[in-house]
Amino acid sequence: MVATKEFSTVGPDSTVIGPSILISGKLTGDEDLTVRGRVEGELNLSKTLIIETSGVVKANVSVRNAIVSGVVVGNVVATESVELTREGRMVGDIRSPRVIIVDGASFRGRIDMGNAEPRPQAERPATRPVVRPAAVRPATLPARPAPQAAPARVMAPAKPQPPPVARVEARPEPRVEAKPAPPPPPPQPVLVGEAGKKKVLVKKKK
Amino acid sequence: MANTIIGSSIVIDGEISGDEDLVIQGTVKGKIALKESLFVEASGVVEADIEVQNVDVAGRVTGNIAATDKVELKADCRVVGDVRAPRILIADGASFKGNVDMDVKER
Repeated sequence: MVATKEFSTVGPDSTVIGPSILISGKLTGDEDLTVRGRVEGELNLSKTLIIETSGVVKANVSVRNAIVSGVVVGNVVATESVELTREGRMVGDIRSPRVIIVDGASFRGRIDMGNAEPRPQAERPATRPVVRPAAVRPATLPARPAPQAAPARVMAPAKPQPPPVARVEARPEPRVEAKPAPPPPPPQPVLVGEAGKKKVLVKKKK
Repeated sequence: MANTIIGSSIVIDGEISGDEDLVIQGTVKGKIALKESLFVEASGVVEADIEVQNVDVAGRVTGNIAATDKVELKADCRVVGDVRAPRILIADGASFKGNVDMDVKER
């Protein structure tokens, strides 16, 4: 979210490295940086790094967000996210809680998302615990009477075995219904969803 | 025109080279070599040797400046270093310490 917001606000006051510029050395800063030229050495930003299609970065990069549409050779450490767009090419290791690689991107290297939990944890506890008490408790309460009482009334054909199974299944289902936005909890769909959002924004920008 | 802008919170320690205009609002240490114009804005701090075609300095520059065309020191700028260019303009209010050499036609 933050990344997309900043992406759209890239304007005249943010830093741009033009296509014919070569910077070799150490670059640090607290603002968004758009690279259309070349940066070699070391790059540290507390905000978003955008490497456009003409941009080449041969550096060890440490940023909050990185959006790579150009070329990166080197290791990237991002505190929030790294996104390799359709045109992005990268050789090096990525360490970031969120890594998005879209179709068409080329990448060689290792990816470390940490425990694979920090990000999901950050998102899920926000939604899940809220949902769980709300959904599971009322869901299980009506669900229990349902398999117990319903088989006698309605579920005549499927009743004999299912009760325990039906109860187990009844829990996730109401949870999903109560939380309509992100259907399944696993992390992949979340990333796909965000990739989709960003992709749209990238297109808008261009 | 794709201008290169070094924003106010950016610090570059190293070398910048290129064929296009460069605007510096942040800090650059090291060396700057351009075939076009360099603009050091009021918030810009440059501690570097500069080789460019034109320079406009409104901020601070410490280092030697060599321009193939023109050096302009604007009011409120602070420049310490030698300046070498066929045309050198120093505005009222500018602060400058160093040698001036306008004798060079071509570098």
